[in-house]
Amino acid sequence: MRATQEALLSEMRSWGYRYVVTPTLESLDVLERGLGSAQRPRLFKLSDGDGSLLALVAERTVPVARLVAGKLRSAPLPLRLCYAGPVLVNQAGGFQRRRESHQLGAELVGAPGPVADAEVIALAMRCLDAAGLRSYQIDVGHAEFFAGLLEGLAVAPEVRLGIRQALAGRDLVALEGILDATPLSSAEHELLRRFPALRGGREILDAASKLVTNGRAARSLEELARVLDLLAAHGVGGTVQVDLGAIRDFDYYTGVIFEGYGPDLGHPLTQGGRYDHLLGRFGRPAPATGFVIHLDLVGEMLEGERGRQHLPALAAAVAWSESGLAPALRLGASLRLFGMRAVVDTQPRSLAAARRWAAGVGSRHLVLVESAERALWVPGGGRSRRLSPQQVVGRLAGGGG
Amino acid sequence: MICLALPTGALLDESLERLARSGVIELGRDEIGRKLMVEKDGLRVVLVRPSDVPAYVDHGAADLGIVGKDSLLEFPGSRYELLDLGFGACSMVVAVPEASALSGPETWPPLLRVATKYPHCTAVQMQGLGQTVEVVRLHGSVELAPLVGLVDAIVDLTASGRTLRANRLRVVWTAFDSSARLVANQASLKTRGSHLLDVVQRLRGEGA
Repeated sequence: MRATQEALLSEMRSWGYRYVVTPTLESLDVLERGLGSAQRPRLFKLSDGDGSLLALVAERTVPVARLVAGKLRSAPLPLRLCYAGPVLVNQAGGFQRRRESHQLGAELVGAPGPVADAEVIALAMRCLDAAGLRSYQIDVGHAEFFAGLLEGLAVAPEVRLGIRQALAGRDLVALEGILDATPLSSAEHELLRRFPALRGGREILDAASKLVTNGRAARSLEELARVLDLLAAHGVGGTVQVDLGAIRDFDYYTGVIFEGYGPDLGHPLTQGGRYDHLLGRFGRPAPATGFVIHLDLVGEMLEGERGRQHLPALAAAVAWSESGLAPALRLGASLRLFGMRAVVDTQPRSLAAARRWAAGVGSRHLVLVESAERALWVPGGGRSRRLSPQQVVGRLAGGGG
Repeated sequence: MICLALPTGALLDESLERLARSGVIELGRDEIGRKLMVEKDGLRVVLVRPSDVPAYVDHGAADLGIVGKDSLLEFPGSRYELLDLGFGACSMVVAVPEASALSGPETWPPLLRVATKYPHCTAVQMQGLGQTVEVVRLHGSVELAPLVGLVDAIVDLTASGRTLRANRLRVVWTAFDSSARLVANQASLKTRGSHLLDVVQRLRGEGA
């Protein structure tokens, strides 16, 4: 997993994103100012010495936003930042899901519009490529499309709220019930009814733009078309789909949003989008967009694609007996100088015990050091030979055996 | 191949019948009951406990599931609720012994002791009423609990009310009505969208 994380961060760095470290423990007030109090049950909380409440971060965009509005206040915008670290989520009710997971993300703060949107989507896709994933798909949508549809619907505010809640809860049965009960029928009405199925290629945009009458929804479609063009210019257009029915946190996202899926995972691998209101809550209003990659899920998918990765084998297990400890330690140091992975035993052993030990630690070679002059070299699967420790180094470093 | 999770128990017969009638898959009760997992016509069907259907769907082990609304409310998650299949109609109710002095919520004591198989639903509903409760979680024969003095009332699912009447219990409050729903995993709806929507269309066509 560390290798994957390194590959992802190095891709982000190569796009000019600066690595920042944010705390895992934050003041509850700060997190709530960013995410709203609805997120409160998802946070693990504890109290500080003075009685104020702290919480473990459940995501890292808010801490980054706070950093931009705080310590990095005088840094000129746009800022390109990336981060990696654990997040802890208290799953309310439901199942005993893993509570700690690892997230990696990038944020582009201070740049509005489709050019920035396309940059972070392209970066997210290049990151998945860099991790070694072969088959994934990216769905791009727009938060304003739904907002526009809702605005275009001539209904009472409480009906609008009901539609919002039904969709946020992914309850299409309730949504249909509400729409059936409203007498009006309009293009917006029909689009909402088919909402989660509004997915496909570029043709979805054309079809939808012929139907919508609301200005906000129409503008969101234009922006999406522009993002698709730019993604093609970035060279990543192929695996991108349009998902106008994306259901996300409607209060948080303000523009282009996207999600990435693997073929056999029940959850999205990566999620992101534009959140232009967040920075303002920390006193430095600025447009922003970014994404998070769920590292554990990427690892799961890689395992599925190419099987479980074993640790690289040890090059040498160095055992010792009699007065062999000091020469064994010197031998270990020499092997490491040549870049080999070597383990020196912590207790003297007989040859039979040393063989069992070497097999147990999974080493290719076994060297049993008896004194400064005498050592027994047992190459993996080969015939054992009596050499001096210096000769063993020569053989192993020279690629012998 | 897409995977559909079906619930054992009361909803199974009607689920199988609806699947057959809408041309999704023909499956005998004995066939699935014996094997628990059947692959046929490009569809894998698994048979699990009703309360486990949300878990199979949420984790993506099943792309689709048929399950009562009660189980969906008991186990909140990020799945899509696609269709009300109409059958398996029942209600989540509060019931007390016939001889009890309790009736509507206004007559309940400040701390109501209830037994239930649905602790989460119970907590949510009672919170909505502003009623403090002590929830005793049971796994079966909930009707017995108030009769032997374990609790004041039960929160349970009832279709006809027959079991309640047989145990001399009466309904004093209905929390919500339930019926069988078709649910989908959030990622499956994106990665296998056309397959899933095809099944949804067929089930809808043979609709309520």
